[in-house]
Amino acid sequence: MSLHYRIKYKSKNTYENPVSEAYWQFLVTPENNETQEVLYSNFRTTVDARIENSINGYNFETTRIHCKKPFDKICFEAEFRLHKKDINPFGFSPIFNNLLDYNLTENHSFKVEFDNFLKHTELTKLPENIKTIHKFNKEFTVFENLNNLNNWVYNYLQFKIGVTKVNTLLKEIVVSKQGVCQDFSHLFCAISRENNIPARYVSGYLHQGNGYFGDSQMHAWVEAFLPNIGWIGFDPTNNILVNHNHIKVCHGKDYNDCPPIKGIIYASGKNETTHSVEVSQQQ
Amino acid sequence: MLARVANDLFWMGRYIERAEHTARYLNVNYFSSLDAPNKLSQSRTFVLNSMYALVDNRVENTSELKENEVLYDIALNPEKTYSIIKCIKSARENANSSRDLISTEFYESINKFYHFVISYPKETFVKNGLFDFTTTVTEHTAILRAKIRGTILHDEVYALIMLGMNIERATQITRIIKTKFDDAERATGGYTNPFKNSYEWTTLLKCAESYDMMRRFYRKTPTQLITLEFLLLNPNCPRSVTNSLNQSYKHISQLDSLKLHNINSSSFLIGKMRSEYEFKTIEEVQKNVREFIEDTLNKLIKISIKLEEEYFNY
Amino acid sequence: MKYNKSKPIFSSYQKNSNLFDEIFDENENVRPTYKKILELYSDHSIQDFASLNEKAKASFFNQGITFQVYSDKKAQEKIFPFDLFPRIIEAKEWDTIEKGVIQRSKALNLFLWDVYHDKNIIKEGIVPIDLINTSANYLHQMEGFDPPGGIYNHISGTDLIKHSDGKYYVLEDNIRCPSGVSYVICNRNALKRALFGVFNHYEIHTVTDYAENLLEMLESVKPKGVDSPNCVVITPGVYNSAYYEHCYLAKSSGIELVEGRDLFVENDFVYMKTINGPEKVDVIYRRIDDLFIDPLEFRKDSVLGVPGLFAAYKRGNVTLVNAPGTGVADDKAIYTYMPQIIKYYLNEEPILNNVHTYHCSKPEDLKYILENVDKLVIKPVDEAGGYGISIGNRLTKEEIEKVKKAIKENPRKYIAQPIMSLSVHATYIDETSSFEQRHVDLRTYTLLGQDKEFVLKGGLTRVALQKGNLIVNSSQGGGSKDTWVLKK
Repeated sequence: MSLHYRIKYKSKNTYENPVSEAYWQFLVTPENNETQEVLYSNFRTTVDARIENSINGYNFETTRIHCKKPFDKICFEAEFRLHKKDINPFGFSPIFNNLLDYNLTENHSFKVEFDNFLKHTELTKLPENIKTIHKFNKEFTVFENLNNLNNWVYNYLQFKIGVTKVNTLLKEIVVSKQGVCQDFSHLFCAISRENNIPARYVSGYLHQGNGYFGDSQMHAWVEAFLPNIGWIGFDPTNNILVNHNHIKVCHGKDYNDCPPIKGIIYASGKNETTHSVEVSQQQ
Repeated sequence: MLARVANDLFWMGRYIERAEHTARYLNVNYFSSLDAPNKLSQSRTFVLNSMYALVDNRVENTSELKENEVLYDIALNPEKTYSIIKCIKSARENANSSRDLISTEFYESINKFYHFVISYPKETFVKNGLFDFTTTVTEHTAILRAKIRGTILHDEVYALIMLGMNIERATQITRIIKTKFDDAERATGGYTNPFKNSYEWTTLLKCAESYDMMRRFYRKTPTQLITLEFLLLNPNCPRSVTNSLNQSYKHISQLDSLKLHNINSSSFLIGKMRSEYEFKTIEEVQKNVREFIEDTLNKLIKISIKLEEEYFNY
Repeated sequence: MKYNKSKPIFSSYQKNSNLFDEIFDENENVRPTYKKILELYSDHSIQDFASLNEKAKASFFNQGITFQVYSDKKAQEKIFPFDLFPRIIEAKEWDTIEKGVIQRSKALNLFLWDVYHDKNIIKEGIVPIDLINTSANYLHQMEGFDPPGGIYNHISGTDLIKHSDGKYYVLEDNIRCPSGVSYVICNRNALKRALFGVFNHYEIHTVTDYAENLLEMLESVKPKGVDSPNCVVITPGVYNSAYYEHCYLAKSSGIELVEGRDLFVENDFVYMKTINGPEKVDVIYRRIDDLFIDPLEFRKDSVLGVPGLFAAYKRGNVTLVNAPGTGVADDKAIYTYMPQIIKYYLNEEPILNNVHTYHCSKPEDLKYILENVDKLVIKPVDEAGGYGISIGNRLTKEEIEKVKKAIKENPRKYIAQPIMSLSVHATYIDETSSFEQRHVDLRTYTLLGQDKEFVLKGGLTRVALQKGNLIVNSSQGGGSKDTWVLKK
């Protein structure tokens, strides 16, 4: 069975002083992959500006906007329609051989191959004193360990909006024990990497019809690499495996590789940005 | 050619030309005033204020004018946007950013010029350097002109520099005339009936390096009528406004011959102004000199703005 | 006999026998290469030299071949000091250098391809992964990307020295934006003007062919589907200390010199803003560092770059020279693996010597290092710009103990190299109005394109003008010499 979704992404920017020229780069278009296919996409702004599709440095599709006429307020609106396969999160072949799997992760070539997603970044660095806060138990399979980690992160942090920012470090998060999906995902990545399992940060949309946590903004989760199987999605904010409600946009080492909006503004003074996301399912 | 570089070349031409006129104005007015026949023309403050007027800085209370300050401001004060030193600095900066397009020889000359100006000691200048400084500046500009003509390819690079020079020349000549008339108005209370004395017209012509040629052409002592005719309308006088417009037209055509008949183009504006000048008589000008001069300056500004929109907008 | 004849000029030349002098051998005889020139120079008195020297300086100054020095908020223009006594390299000696630097450039290029693709050299354990993934110059965005023509380090500057054993050693490979090539040409012109008489006694390779080879190389790496590429040089602007060089390169190759604000990107193609409207750009020789080329992809505060440039590059619509991310291969730590890198990719022995490197992480090396600190230079592997370097023979006993302690505490952090002694060359010194021995090095310039390789037959001989100083950098009071490569 396949599901149809309609996604509306809106962003409104207001500036204290008129902006003479500006560039924006949006990283909000769902990717095409095995489980999802974009059928329609449309991008609009309230000012007279050029809209182009391009890519970012990691080859994910971006929308670039260049505005040369002065303005002090600008709204963006993106609309996507896509269909998504109804996937069984446990649908991968369930053969696990613990010893072989763990051996593989110890292998030098494996470490080199996945270095990007094993090495800590500024945002996924665990403070020295709690590096071993959650150790994997090699009695269990890699998948079981990751599932436990998902559960552990979910219980460890309390979902709360407004406590953290996109650049809040883990050392602060583990003290306040509160945060949003970015923080849940960064903590998951950090611990998974600490246990030698490659993990990458994923940015996307969540269909919230089922009472999941997220917010009316973009969602974040994690993909971890299971030896001999591949990348599997975990959503620690909701303690679930990634399913047909998760619509992926892009992945990276951490949030910094996936910011939904980047802007270069030629103006002085303060500015304010608000975003909203609406995901609805269609029959 | 890059729009930014085109802008720099155009302005380099303008700055070089401007430095030259300012220097000559200082030189001629100062030295001719020393033994001027009437009292007012000899008055220190009157002359100093006239110098300030050329660079758009006329003051109302002349009693506070100090010779050292005025001369320093106009020639060597790096803080003043109108000073000669500032012009040369800007011209050299413009040459720097278009250095890959201009000849090594020309660059070397402008660079030497720059070093001459910035290292000229202030003390020497205000004490006894006025003649030496201003004469050397005009000599350097002559060298630059020769290097532009002789070592730079006569393509769009050349056209843009020359365009800048000629538009600036037309502007400066008009400004010099305007300053003289403003002086006259202050002295006699009337704009249309200024100096009766040929002396002032001689000074004016010398400021434009056109005295000798004017004598040869008319074979009489200068009067207001023939001085204005020569400096504004004579197509063969290399410093006249008409000549500068003709040159500008030639160079803008070289830049883009296809746009000549597009009424929204700068070449159209230049062509139109040039034609008006071509068939203007001095008697018509005489009816209202002030109006004619203001109109000329306004048109030149409009041309400059149009050029900017059309070619230099980057 | 001839030595006596040259006395007026070299009368006060003092020779330190511990140093390798390029002009006089250990028995104080003039080396054969320099015999003729010394003979010719002996016609000049030291006063002649002083006045020629002044004229040469004035010529550089007037031509604006200068760099800015900032002090007390005031910018001052300085010339890059130039010495009238040329450095001469024999044909055979040069042959080795040329082959050696090409070998290094090629090996580095293959290394970069590997590092940004399969990482075999790391998987096989030859180069440690830490050297790559901890490098600030490693660009993840370049992974899996094939640069046009397969070239990363189109332009390399290799720094060589001649040690007291008379052999050349490579000190550093510069493959980001190596500068200085314009001085090579300026030096030649200045020397020709000042001492034209000596040139017809030597058969010297020209250096003016650099520009045409540069252009040919740039054109060889054009994007797919472009017939005759439009190449440009991009500069940070007139206030950059190397602006003269950027102008020179553009002018001598006959291509446009642009700044970031002259370019824009539309539909992933790059255009420059000309008086006749936009014009497509295909190859960009960039003299802007990686992180400044595109504010949308890298440093957001960069005003030097072009928004969207990196996307255009990754789409293959424009070529950047050198490729972004080359910096990962030119740091100190990678340098120590150069012999292995050459062997791995080319299956050849290195033609040029690396300075031997002891790794404190290896027990046998560590033992040697701790016993010989006074004879070694100790360098931290992860510091750049000369920070934290200890030169053994300049340390006090206490300082040596301190260094030893630091090494023992964290052996992985340090490497050690023998103290290299740069050769010396006769250099005219303003202050004393005489020739004195000064340390010199040599920077060569190598171009790699698609089916194209070129080494400029000359190079920049840099001189440390302060007595006893080993640092030849221009920001530290270095000068330069014209460098002659003999045809036979």
